Amino acid sequence: MQLHKRAEWWTGYAMLLPYMAFFVLFMLYPAMHGFRISLFEWSLIGDKTYVGFDNYKELLRDAQFRDSLLHTFRFVLMSVPALTAFGLVLALVAHGLRKGRTVFRSVVFFPVILSVSVVSSVWVVLLQPYTGTVNSFLHRLGLGQELFWLSDPNMAWLSILIATLWWTVGVNFILFLAGLQDIPDSLYEAARIDGANGWDAFRHVTLPSLTRVSLLVLMLQTIASFKIFGQNLLITGGGPAGSTQTTVLYIYEKAFSRQEFGYASAASFILLVIILLFSLVQMIFLREREGGR
Amino acid sequence: MKDRRKPKTSALQRVLQLAAACIGLVFLAPVVWMVWTSLHTEQSGMFTAVNYRKVLVEAPMFVWFRNSLLVSACITFLVLLVDSLAAYALSRLRFPFKRALFVLILTGLMIPAETLVVPLYLQFSKLGLLNQLYTLVLPAVAGPLGVFVLKPFFDGIPKDLEEAARMDGAGTLRIWSTLFLPLARPALSALAILTFINAWNDYFWPLVSVTEKSRMTVTLGLPTFQSAYLQTYALPMTANTLATLPVLLLFLLFQKQIMKGIAFTGGKEG
Repeated sequence: MQLHKRAEWWTGYAMLLPYMAFFVLFMLYPAMHGFRISLFEWSLIGDKTYVGFDNYKELLRDAQFRDSLLHTFRFVLMSVPALTAFGLVLALVAHGLRKGRTVFRSVVFFPVILSVSVVSSVWVVLLQPYTGTVNSFLHRLGLGQELFWLSDPNMAWLSILIATLWWTVGVNFILFLAGLQDIPDSLYEAARIDGANGWDAFRHVTLPSLTRVSLLVLMLQTIASFKIFGQNLLITGGGPAGSTQTTVLYIYEKAFSRQEFGYASAASFILLVIILLFSLVQMIFLREREGGR
Repeated sequence: MKDRRKPKTSALQRVLQLAAACIGLVFLAPVVWMVWTSLHTEQSGMFTAVNYRKVLVEAPMFVWFRNSLLVSACITFLVLLVDSLAAYALSRLRFPFKRALFVLILTGLMIPAETLVVPLYLQFSKLGLLNQLYTLVLPAVAGPLGVFVLKPFFDGIPKDLEEAARMDGAGTLRIWSTLFLPLARPALSALAILTFINAWNDYFWPLVSVTEKSRMTVTLGLPTFQSAYLQTYALPMTANTLATLPVLLLFLLFQKQIMKGIAFTGGKEG
C-alpha cells in the first residue's frame, strides 16, 4: 500500500529532522551569528558595542591581516601543484609496479591517519638545525652549510610544505591510483594497435582519462590548503616573525589570545566568503566538465 | 590482481622497484626514527623502556585515549544514523521544499568548519557547554558530507525492491533499516571510516573548546605534554609512539577498507 501524501510528508520531515537539527544549530546558525558578531566589538564576558562595518574596515587596513591572506594564498599556490603532482607520480609508480604494490601503497598512505600533533612533533624535531636528523643526513651527503628550516623565513614555508606533503599526499595518491585503475584496458589496446608507444599512450590515453580525478584532487587540495592550521601552529608557531601565519592562525590569535571576538569573527567571515567562492567556482567548473563529456 | 598494462620490460620494472623502495624508505623513515628515539635515552646504549614508564606516569594517555575513542565513536555513530535517515528521506520520499532543503544542505559543503569556530565558541560558552565530551561531538555531526555521499547511493537502489517490500506491508523505517542500510554498506563503511579518522585527528575546535586536561583527546593532549620537553626528544617521541600504536593497529586491520573508502568518497565528489 502506498503512503498517503500527508503521511509521506510527515515521514519525510521526521527522517530529515535529526540531521537538520545538527545542521541548523551547529552550522547554519553559527555562520549567520558569526556575521552578526562581526558587526560588534565583542568580548568574552559579553560586553558588546555595535560598530557596524568598522571591524571590516579595520581589517582591510591591518597589515597583519593582509599578510595572513598573502601567506595563505602563497601556501595554496605552493602546495596545490606540489601535492597534486606528487600524488600523481606516486600513483603512477604504484600502478606500474608488479610486485610490492600493496606494501608501497600502505607505506605512502600510512601518514594520513596520524594526527597533526604527532606529525608536527616529529617534523619539528627532524628539522632542527645542528641536532636534527634531516640536517645530519644532508651533511653526510656532503652539504656543508647548516640549513635553518624553521627559523629562516624563506625556509619555514618549505618546512611546512614538506611535513604536509608527507602527511597528506597519501589521499591524492589513492584518488589518482583509483583513477588509473579505472582506465579500461581496451583504450590501451586500441592505442597499441594504432602504433602508439608507451609515452604516446601516456599522453593520449592516461592523461586525458585522469582529467576528472585531477580536477577533483586540485579542488580538494586547494580547499585543504586554505584551511591549514595545526602544522603551522605546532611546527613554526606562525613564525618566524609571523611569516607562516595564515588567516586561520590569525583568527585563532585574535579570538583566543586577544579576546577580540568581533574582530576575529569579521576575519572568519571574510575567509568563509573567499573559500565559499573558490569552492563554488570549482564545483561549477567540475560539473561543467562532467556535463561536457 | 591481474596487471593491466602491457608486459613491462624488466628494466622498467627494476627502475620502478628502485624508485618505490627509495620513496618507501623516505616515507617510513620519520616513523622508524620516532620509534627508535623512544626506545633510547642519553645514557643507555641499548633499547630501554624507561621513557615509556615516564610518559605513562606523567601524561594521562589512557584518559586521552578513552576520550578520543568515545568522541570518535559517538560522532561516527551519530553521523551514520542521522545522515542515512536524511539521505533516505531526500532520496525516496516526497515532501514540500525537499529540493530547497537539499540545496541548503549542499551549501554547507562549502562552509569550512574553521570559519565557524569563533561563533561556535561564543555559542557554547554562553550555554556553559565547553569542556565536555559532547562539546566535541555536536558540531562534528553537522557536516553534510555524509548526506551528500549517501543520497546518490540511495538514488541508485532499484525502486522495485522498495515496491516489493511495501507490498509486503513494510513501513518506511523497516524499509530503511532492513533494505537500504544493508545495500548501502560500502558507502556506509567508507563514511564511517572517514568520519572516525577525521574525528580522531580534529584539532582546531578541540583546541579552543576543551581546555581541561582530563577531557582532552589524544590529538589535543599530546602537545600539552610535549611542550614541557622542548629540548630533549625522547619523551615527546615516546608519547607520539604511544599515540600512534592504536591507530597503527586499526590501520593494519582496516587499511584496505580505509583506502577504498577514500577512493569511493572521492568518486562521489567528482
